[in-house]
Amino acid sequence: MTSSTLTAPVPQVAGRARDAEPGRRRRRRHDRWMAVAFAAPLLAYLVLFYAVPLIQNLSMSVHGYDRNTFVNGGAPFVGLDVYRDVIGQDRFLRVLRQTAIFTLASIAVQYVVGLALAVFFQRSFRLSAVLRGLFLVPWLLPVIVSGTTWQWMMNADTGVLNAALGLVGVDPVWWLSADNALMSVIIANVWLGIPFNLVILYSGLQNISPDLSEAAALDGANAWQRFWRITMPLLRPVSLITLLLGLVYTLKVVDIIWIMTLGTGTSQTLATWSYGMAFGKGTSAVIQYSEASAVGSILIVIALAFGLLYIAAQRRQED
Amino acid sequence: MTRTWWKTGIGLVLIAIMLFPIYWMVNVSLTRRDSIRRGDLVPLDFTLEHYGVVLSEQGSFLATSLLVGLGTVVVTLAVAAPAGYALAKLALPGRRTLSFLLIVAQMVPAVVMALGFYSLYSRYGLLDTIPGLIVADSTIAVPFAVMLLAAFMTGIPKELIQAAELDGASTWRTFRSVILPVSRNSAVTVALFAFLWAWSDFVFASTLNRGGGDLRPITMGIYNYIGAQNQEYGPMMATAVVASVPTAILLIVAQRYVAAGVTAGAVKD
Amino acid sequence: MTRHIRTATLATAAALAITLSACGTGGGDGTGSGEGSGAADAGTVTFWDPYPQHTEGSPWDELIKSCAPEGTTVERQGIPTADLLNQLTTAVREGGAPSVVVLDNPVVADAVGAQLVADAEQTGLDTTGFDENLLGPGIVDGTAYGVPFGSNALGLYYNASLLEENGIDPASITDWDALDAALETVTAGGAQGITFSGIAGEEGVFQALPWFWGSGADLADLGSDDAVATGRLMSDWIAAGYAPRSATTDNQSAAWDLFLTGEYAFAENGSWFAQAAADADFEVGVIPIPSRDGGVAPVPTGGEFMTVPVQEDDAEASYARSAELIACLTEGENLLNTNETLGYLAAKADVRAEQVAANPLWEPWAPIVEGASGRTTELGTDYPVVSALLSEALQTSLNAGGDADQIRTAFTDAADAG
Repeated sequence: MTSSTLTAPVPQVAGRARDAEPGRRRRRRHDRWMAVAFAAPLLAYLVLFYAVPLIQNLSMSVHGYDRNTFVNGGAPFVGLDVYRDVIGQDRFLRVLRQTAIFTLASIAVQYVVGLALAVFFQRSFRLSAVLRGLFLVPWLLPVIVSGTTWQWMMNADTGVLNAALGLVGVDPVWWLSADNALMSVIIANVWLGIPFNLVILYSGLQNISPDLSEAAALDGANAWQRFWRITMPLLRPVSLITLLLGLVYTLKVVDIIWIMTLGTGTSQTLATWSYGMAFGKGTSAVIQYSEASAVGSILIVIALAFGLLYIAAQRRQED
Repeated sequence: MTRTWWKTGIGLVLIAIMLFPIYWMVNVSLTRRDSIRRGDLVPLDFTLEHYGVVLSEQGSFLATSLLVGLGTVVVTLAVAAPAGYALAKLALPGRRTLSFLLIVAQMVPAVVMALGFYSLYSRYGLLDTIPGLIVADSTIAVPFAVMLLAAFMTGIPKELIQAAELDGASTWRTFRSVILPVSRNSAVTVALFAFLWAWSDFVFASTLNRGGGDLRPITMGIYNYIGAQNQEYGPMMATAVVASVPTAILLIVAQRYVAAGVTAGAVKD
Repeated sequence: MTRHIRTATLATAAALAITLSACGTGGGDGTGSGEGSGAADAGTVTFWDPYPQHTEGSPWDELIKSCAPEGTTVERQGIPTADLLNQLTTAVREGGAPSVVVLDNPVVADAVGAQLVADAEQTGLDTTGFDENLLGPGIVDGTAYGVPFGSNALGLYYNASLLEENGIDPASITDWDALDAALETVTAGGAQGITFSGIAGEEGVFQALPWFWGSGADLADLGSDDAVATGRLMSDWIAAGYAPRSATTDNQSAAWDLFLTGEYAFAENGSWFAQAAADADFEVGVIPIPSRDGGVAPVPTGGEFMTVPVQEDDAEASYARSAELIACLTEGENLLNTNETLGYLAAKADVRAEQVAANPLWEPWAPIVEGASGRTTELGTDYPVVSALLSEALQTSLNAGGDADQIRTAFTDAADAG
């Protein structure tokens, strides 16, 4: 749509022939305008679709909303009371710890497995493209279906996972019991996240020119050294973003946990807790919009912290 | 080629492990309800009944999902590609703040956004329409797309852009004829994600397109099997199988475009 | 230079145009009222129910459409129970409420508290003749808010051939000890015991209440010995291997699918599966759920209310149309049609008698429905909080493997929190 307006050839940039100083300044101003123009659709988009709901969310967390005031208005301003209440609950630290384990374990395993697979597929071989495509299939399934399938496979009495463990002489595991639930949802979530990591890391690897690696090979570096000394450093920008996005997405995972356990036992995370309160679902049917928004805001703050880390890492890389 | 046969072998084993849950789903979709929870390794109590139900009911949902998915890809790329370029290569003022905002944006729970869309859409009559759903679904992918494209575009050598500028190309021209072609890999990657997210979206569909009748995506079609006290997992799993076949083919085809060395080759010259 | 700035402006304008045109399509006719839920439109009556499995063109869909008030057409949407109240909340907030909404009975009090639905007198709904106990959950502070057209209830299904093989007479199961003895016998004989839904939340509480009330416990006192006894009963089933461990996450549908495998002797489940039970591969019977010391345990009432959401524009005319539609579905001949189509028992004694006479399937269920109590009748809008506390105690119990101390602590904690 934009292209039809803009494809008309634009005349030569003025000023190149002029004397250096004002020309450069003008040039810089022009570049800036161009940059803004390129980013404009995104800016409009962000304001329209993100800023408004985000502000709404914040506002909800400092007002005392219930279902009635949500519909008819008149929720009283309560300042940070809701935050105090949420953080003061016994379960807060427990849920926070579970969220940390869920998130870190998920992204660590996803990343390592995704990278291993990406390297495996790096040089094409017979059927490699088809197999690589098939790795994405888990993503095509509605989570309600894949979540249910995992729940069944993890059935403590008749599940196929326990049957397989039995073949190698391991006692059956009560996968979805209150204590084991966290481990089980991590397994399912890793499975869901591998395609994402594989795709990004694979295309990251494809963007690395093989020249350096080949030169190093000629110098006698073995495959392991080449991977650690050349591939990994070059892959760093892509790795960073994969990990950051993985973190952000994993922090807000609700569906797979919800379908498998409703966030009961150790599988409760900040995201499922917030979801349950926002909808009056799960253990409690009591709707708690403000508490849900407060937990949501806490999640955003956590993501912000990691966002800052990311930016710091990015800056170090640029220097 | 013969030397890589062992790799194909390992690849097949890996894919077998990865797709085992999918096998399980297919297994269940071919089992009569009476035996669905028996946990048999193969559908001993075989039936095609679930597929009969699904094929007669879900065709139009499938078509809608495809349309929504493709529309989302277009909107996402149209917004994200120029922005990614501005972030990566142009002197965009406040670009760190913007990258930061993009991270924040992805944390906004879909539920909160759905509510925002609902009030906007009910005001402008966009509820239960496909364009409405496309715009909403694109918000899942846009921040991601911008970040990913920017990350990849950062790696494009300065020389390439300078060469284009020396030839007298405008910024837009450089973007169109130099940046976009070398970004094909990442653009395909972004398109894939945009498509898949739109395909599997449930929150927006159930809030914004509930009353769309046949013009609802497949994730809503599954509603038909969720009763108040009774869920029919057989047809649900069959729906998932039927829905994944066309998209799996699409994925495999798209994957070929993330071909080895596209960017590397372009940069080398 | 200027050309460049113009390009930039153009790009911005184009970008805005994309967004705006995307938002603006059809903006002319939308004017503030929730489109697609057109309660404000005199020509359509919108009807939301929690039965998405009854798709367009199904008998239920046809029945509703045949009841459209003159000069109108009915637009129906089936929305899963779990989402219905929230969807209604959003719709009322944005001024796009449906004309009629069919709400699960335990959430009616909540909907009334949030002023989502109008009272029966205001809308002209006729609630006379419906059973007291079924009407209960729809009455808040003495005012009725909806029509409890039909009901369902929980009973104890059994696999007749499995019981026979193990020499158990289902009629002998009239207290908890008899049930436990039967479970021990069948599991010792190599079969499985009982399936039930212990899932977190209201569904699990619904399934636990017959045992809870049957022990003599009261929702007002979750820490009592009787309440603890309920937790122990169900926990012991899992610990002893009588019930599957998946009960902690099974919903009622999943628990039913387990029973359908033919491996289980008993299943606590609802009358909505009466027809499916008759069609099963093995012979299925049903008995009332026994109370601890003998006799029939009170079960919670199941089923929905037809209610009318609050309207702002042209409320009177809209209410009249809604009431006419509801009356058509719940009065005279059609009350029978409605219930038979949904597989429910009518909430009026005479119609229920008619159903039982026509279909022996209903015979064991009629007395159960008549003895049922409303979950929210006693506690009103306090019920959701109590239910949540009970649910947590139950989840802990089911995971406790019969550990008596842990179960007692779970229930006393719940009582303290309330």
